[in-house]
Amino acid sequence: MNPIVEVQQISKSFGATQALRGVSFSFFSGEIFALVGANGAGKSTLIKIICGYYEDYEGEIRIEGQRVRFHSPQDSFRQGIRTVHQIIDQGVVPTMSIAENLALNELLDPATGLRYRRQHIRTRAQEIAEPMGLTFTNWDLPVSDLSQSDRQLISIARSLVGEPKLLILDEPTSSLSTRETDRLFEKLDQLRSQGVAIVYVSHRLHEIELLADRAGVVRDGLKSADLTRPVKSQDLVRAMVGEIDTTPHDHPHAVQAGKVRLELKNLIVRPGDPPLNLQLRAGEIVGLTGLIGAGKSELAEILYGMREPVSGEILLDGQPLKPESISSAIDKGVHLVPEDRSNRAVIPQFSVNQNLSLPFLRSFCQFALLKPRKEQQEADRMVRDLGVKCQGIHALIGSLSGGNQQKVVVARWLQRKFRVLLLDEPFQGVDIKSRHDIIQYLRDQLHDEVVLVLAADLDEILEVADRVLVLNRGRLMGEQNRNSIDRTQLLDWISTTETQFAHA
Amino acid sequence: MPEPTKTEKGGTSTNWDAKQFAIRYGFLIVMAALYLMFSILEPAFLTWSNQFSILLGIAIYGILALGVTFTLVVDGLDLSIGSVAALSVMISSYCMVVLEQGAVISVIICLLLGALVGLLNGLLIVKMKIPDLLTTLGMMFLIQGLQLIPSAGRTISEGMLMEDGEEALGFFDPSFLYLGQGRLFGVIPIPVIVMLVIALLVYIVLDHTRWGRVMYAIGGNPEATRLAGAPVNLYRIMAYVISGTIASIGGVLLVARVGVGDITSGTGLLLDAVGAALIGFAVFGVRRPNPFGTLVGAIFIGVLLSGLTMLSLPYYTQDFIKGGVLVLSLMFTFALAKRS
Repeated sequence: MNPIVEVQQISKSFGATQALRGVSFSFFSGEIFALVGANGAGKSTLIKIICGYYEDYEGEIRIEGQRVRFHSPQDSFRQGIRTVHQIIDQGVVPTMSIAENLALNELLDPATGLRYRRQHIRTRAQEIAEPMGLTFTNWDLPVSDLSQSDRQLISIARSLVGEPKLLILDEPTSSLSTRETDRLFEKLDQLRSQGVAIVYVSHRLHEIELLADRAGVVRDGLKSADLTRPVKSQDLVRAMVGEIDTTPHDHPHAVQAGKVRLELKNLIVRPGDPPLNLQLRAGEIVGLTGLIGAGKSELAEILYGMREPVSGEILLDGQPLKPESISSAIDKGVHLVPEDRSNRAVIPQFSVNQNLSLPFLRSFCQFALLKPRKEQQEADRMVRDLGVKCQGIHALIGSLSGGNQQKVVVARWLQRKFRVLLLDEPFQGVDIKSRHDIIQYLRDQLHDEVVLVLAADLDEILEVADRVLVLNRGRLMGEQNRNSIDRTQLLDWISTTETQFAHA
Repeated sequence: MPEPTKTEKGGTSTNWDAKQFAIRYGFLIVMAALYLMFSILEPAFLTWSNQFSILLGIAIYGILALGVTFTLVVDGLDLSIGSVAALSVMISSYCMVVLEQGAVISVIICLLLGALVGLLNGLLIVKMKIPDLLTTLGMMFLIQGLQLIPSAGRTISEGMLMEDGEEALGFFDPSFLYLGQGRLFGVIPIPVIVMLVIALLVYIVLDHTRWGRVMYAIGGNPEATRLAGAPVNLYRIMAYVISGTIASIGGVLLVARVGVGDITSGTGLLLDAVGAALIGFAVFGVRRPNPFGTLVGAIFIGVLLSGLTMLSLPYYTQDFIKGGVLVLSLMFTFALAKRS
């Protein structure tokens, strides 16, 4: 079989930086091709070239054997290349109805005339939704009322209009829950059997293991592996970073269960949730996992003074902890690295050192006047200790790769003494090397503090945590120590459904 | 310099030179060139007295522009500053001429009113979540109407006849008029000094205190700033309070300069002030509101208008020129800097 789309010997540089060096891949109909690489490895650049965002690259792209050259994203689109972006809401118009969103191209096509033909739009929408097996009871519902996963399926369905040659999905599961992910995979399976060629970009290795027929790895601008089914995550990791092993391993930081520092007593997080009882001890890193909706983030918000619990008590070092605001939580030594770095943590116009000092400006001040040297000295120290790769502390944060930005965000909260550190999905969109650095640094710095890591990804949790707790719809399902991990049991706890609760 | 780091989006630091230089200093170079050109074409341009008359000409809206810079920094915009200044003109005249009050109390009342309007703006924006442009636009109309009410829509001057037919007995205190008409050492106009002092204070607050840093952070990413523990809403309200207060200072200086509570005195102030602050984005290519840029922007307009007027440019083309400069500098700031 001949590949439907090929990229051959693609090279691309930005000034002095060589982003891609002679990368070649072939994509076949009816195959899911996973494209993998650490942040900054060059995979986004490759995708952008295929989508027509860059004109000035070396090498060539062939579609069904024909050499093509794109001058704009529209060119690439016309040639049958479709991309569904990571940010789901960029793919839909939330204020428009389901039908309108599905038939959006129709609506925008000048050939369809000025009149708004409601019935026609509906019919077209159903035709477009059909290959994805999507149906809705109310097609007039605004998309803003739908779940993330429905929105995404709508944009995928729309991108399939006109029998595309290649469908590129960029981190499609990054804002989906596990259940929604399963649903997406079902649909992708269906598309594969219909003969669509899919390029699947993801950081989540277990998804790739599950889904991919082939996987291409880029590392440092070079193609470092082209694997075929069965794709093993160890092989992927080895190709991505070489030296790092993600399997749980013993680390020198032996868990000396210290005294209890943080204690939840009959804490009810949300109305209707069962009470939580939990003790976190000095010097331990606790991983809390569970699906979206399990109540992880809500618990973090309570500890961080952003929300009030329904009832119950929190004790920090034996004293009741009732932060009425974020700043009072910080004063009490509770720090939070929030989920969603770019929207909730980073100030894009600020330099690395300005981003670092933000929560603790008072300590860099005298009579409200900032002391620049003190600020820079601290920033230098943190950047060095965490191995942040940047052009110095005055570089804009946006010039750093995602993993390095995350290092800065974590460093922000480690530069001052804390008692409890909450990390909410700290490794989303972070390459494995940076993740490893961050975890290593945490372990090195930890004395008698408590670290609570919230993450849906089990691999991430298992890598970082001394103790794993599973939350399911507000209920604490159980816990495991890192030296006695039973994955099947954990997955069971995570995925137990409502009806099974009743029997438990 | 450390080795360039690779970013996925691309862009390196090696082909700086020309473009970076243009972005950074282009605006200042254009300004210097204009200055040089006017000086050569019209010798009177370069006299000391003309320098001060340029500065005096921009002082009022320069002050307003420095105030509105705060709201721009927190990613808002205060459109009510022109009418707040006008309100301050009318209220201070009313206090002194009609109510026969002293200068100090009149000025204090004006400043408090300005702060109050700012507080109201801030509360509407923060608590009721009305978009800033709409809030301050509404407030602008409200105050434009309000300022007409005390004097029943008439200009207030000393000895004016009041509604009941009696003559107003109050007067503008000479020490008050000094604020607008006086000159330090007989040379430097007082409003210019006030503007420079305010500029210095604004610069210190925005660039060298944690308050300013937090305000810039809010402008960059309010959610991240909130999660870093800053009282974001309080800061946003304060930005509008400062903007309103500074606008009323501008109004006070305006009455003191003309010695009449002119009903039309606020016209044009808003656009001049916002224009100067926006032109300020281009200075040093920083692409964000900054007090130095605002001051330079105001001076730039002043230099341009003074020079062109001396070269017998008709007065009615002034607004056209100002608008052109504003649009050009915005193009310069956003288009050129984005491409880098």
